[in-house]
Amino acid sequence: MSFGWLVRHNVWSKKVRSGLTALAVAIGVMTVVALGIVTDSLKTTAAGVLQVGAADFTVAQKGVNDILSSALTEQQLAKVRGIDGVRSATGVLLDTERLDKAHPLVVEVGIKPVDLKPFGVQIADGRAFRADAENEVMLGIHLAQDLGIKVGGTIHVTDKTMRVVGVFNTGNTFGDSTVMFPLAPFQAYQRQPGGLSLLFVKVDPGTKVSQVRSAVERSSPLLVTISSLIDFGRADRSYQLITAADRAATFLAIAVGAIFVMNAMVLSLVERYREFGILRAVGWSRRRLIALVFGEAMVIAFIGAALGVGLGFVAISILENLPSLEGVLKPTFESWVFGRALLTAILVTAIGALYPALRAAHLSPQEAMRRE
Amino acid sequence: MSSQTRSETRREVSTGTGAIVAENLVKSFDKGIVKALDGLTLRVSAGEYVSITGPSGCGKSTLMHMLAALDRPDSGRLMVDGADLMRLHDPDGFRRSRVGLVFQMHNLLAHLDAKANVSIAMLGTSRTRRQISERADELLEMVGLAAFSHRRPPEMSGGERQRVAIARALANEPSILLADEPTGSLDSHSVDRVLNVLDDLRRERPVTIVMVTHDDGVAMTADRMIHLVDGRVSEPTA
Ligand SMILES: Nc1ncnc2c1ncn2[C@@H]1O[C@H](COP(=O)(O)OP(=O)(O)OP(=O)(O)O)[C@@H](O)[C@H]1O
Ligand SMILES: [Mg+2]
Repeated sequence: MSFGWLVRHNVWSKKVRSGLTALAVAIGVMTVVALGIVTDSLKTTAAGVLQVGAADFTVAQKGVNDILSSALTEQQLAKVRGIDGVRSATGVLLDTERLDKAHPLVVEVGIKPVDLKPFGVQIADGRAFRADAENEVMLGIHLAQDLGIKVGGTIHVTDKTMRVVGVFNTGNTFGDSTVMFPLAPFQAYQRQPGGLSLLFVKVDPGTKVSQVRSAVERSSPLLVTISSLIDFGRADRSYQLITAADRAATFLAIAVGAIFVMNAMVLSLVERYREFGILRAVGWSRRRLIALVFGEAMVIAFIGAALGVGLGFVAISILENLPSLEGVLKPTFESWVFGRALLTAILVTAIGALYPALRAAHLSPQEAMRRE
Repeated sequence: MSSQTRSETRREVSTGTGAIVAENLVKSFDKGIVKALDGLTLRVSAGEYVSITGPSGCGKSTLMHMLAALDRPDSGRLMVDGADLMRLHDPDGFRRSRVGLVFQMHNLLAHLDAKANVSIAMLGTSRTRRQISERADELLEMVGLAAFSHRRPPEMSGGERQRVAIARALANEPSILLADEPTGSLDSHSVDRVLNVLDDLRRERPVTIVMVTHDDGVAMTADRMIHLVDGRVSEPTA
C-alpha cells in the first residue's frame, strides 16, 4: 500500500459521497467554462470586424459603447490621410440587420469600389458593384453559400430587393459573412451623407505603426486607434461589460462551488470521526491527515473538472440553439478551456476542503474512539 | 526523543525500553469535577504481561490513553519505553513506533481489507511499499489470518477483527502493547484464539503487554493482575 493508493481507494470506496462532491465541483466548472466560451465568442464576434480590413490599425470614435456604433466623417478620413506615415486609409460605414432566424445579426459594410482591393476584398465570382448603384450588393462567400444565393440572384436588405452582382472573399470568416454596399447609396439610406464608422489605416513601409497611431490620436481628441484585442477592450464599452460580468460570475461560481464542497465534506467528517481517530491512534500526524483529506479532494477535483467540461459543452450547445442567441454565439472550443476548468476545480475543492481538513486534524483521537 | 529524556533514561534503568513507570498520575475532566485518575502509581517492567481490572468508570481507559500518549496527565510522572510522556515532543511518532494500541471495538477501517488495515500503521515510516506489503503478510500469518488478507471487516468475525487489530498494533515492532478490553465483545472460543496469539507473540520476542479486561479468566492469564478503584491501584487484600 502507498499513500496515493489509500487516497484513491478512499475516493473510490465512497462512490456516492465522492460523486456528489465531484458534481458540486462540476457545476462550478461548467458555469465557468460555459461563461468563458460565451464571453470569448462574443468578444471574437465583436472584434472580428477589425480583422477584416487588411490594415495595420483601425480608427474609431472615442468612448462608444459598441464599436459598430462608432461615428466618423469623410472630413476626418481626409485629415487622417494627410498624416505623415499614412500610406492609405479606407473608410467604411457599418450597420447590422436581421435577415432571418438563422442570421439575426448580419454586418453590412458600405465601401467605395476603389477601396475594395486595399481593404483585402477579392472578387470570387461576378463583379464589384458600381459606386452609385442603388440596388447592387455583394455577398461574402460564406453568407452566400449559407443563404444559397448565387451571382445574379436577389436578396432583401435595407428595405429593398437588391441584386447580388458579386461574391467576395476576405480570407476571414467574419468578413465572409457580411454584405457589402457601395458607400454613397448606403450613406443615403442610413441618412448619414458623408458618414463613416471606422477607418482602416496602412502605414508607409519602414514607418513605426505606433508612431503613426499616436500621430492620429494627437490629431483629434475624438479618435481612438485600435490594433489589438486589448485596444479593442479599451475602445468598446460592451466588451468591458462582458469581461466584468464574466469575472463576477466566475467568482460567484467558485464561491458557490466551494461552499457545496465544504458542506459535503463537513457532513462526511461526522461519519469519518472514527476513521480519523484510528489513523491518529496508529501514529498518523495531523499533517498526514490533512494531506489525506486534501489528496482525496484533489482526486475529486480532477473528476469534477472532467465532468464539468463535458457539462459545459452540453450547456453551450443548448445556449447556441436558443432562438435569441442563434447565429450570435459562435463558440470556439480552445485548449485554454481545459486549463481554466482544472484551475476552477482545484480552487473550488481546495477552498472547500480547507476547513474540513483542519477540523479532521484537530479532532482528539480518544474522543473519536469514544463515540458510539 | 529529546536529549533530556535520553539522559534521564540512562540515569534510571527501570524506566528504559519496554518499561512503564507511573507515579501519582492525576487526570481530571470537566474542570476538575471528574477525577478519572487520582494519584495512580504503577510500575511495569520490560517484558511483563499485566492485566488491569476494575469497575466501570474507575479510569482504566483513561490510563491507557495516557500510556499511549493520546492525552497527557494533569500532574505526576510518566515514563513509557524510556520516553517522558509529561513532555513529549512528538506523540505521533511515539505512537507510531513505540507502542501498539488495540481497542475493544472499532479498531478497523470498514472500507479497507485486512491487509490494508494492517498496512496503514506503516505509512509514514521508512518502509518501502514492498516492505510494507511483506510485513503485513507476515503479521497476518502470525495471527493466523493469512487467508483473510483481502477480507474487509464486515466479512470477518469479532475475534478475527481483533486479531487483525493486534497484527496492526505490532506492525512497527513496538516494545509495548496496550490493549483496552480486546476480548470484551468476543465469545469464549474467540477469546482463546486472541490469547493464544498474545502467547505466541511473547514466546517470539520480549514485549510488554498491558491489557484492560472485565473478564477474570482473561485477567488470570497475565503475569500480574492490577485492580483499579476510583482512579488508583487498590492494594491487594489477600
Ligand atoms: N473525555 C472525557 N470527558 C469527560 N469525562 C471523561 C472523559 N473521559 C473519561 N471521563 C470520565 O472519567 C472516568 C473514567 O473513565 P474511563 O473511560 O477511564 O473508565 P473505564 O474504567 O475505562 O470504564 P469502562 O470499564 O466502562 O470502560 C469516567 O467517570 C468517565 O466518565
Ligand atoms: Mg474503558
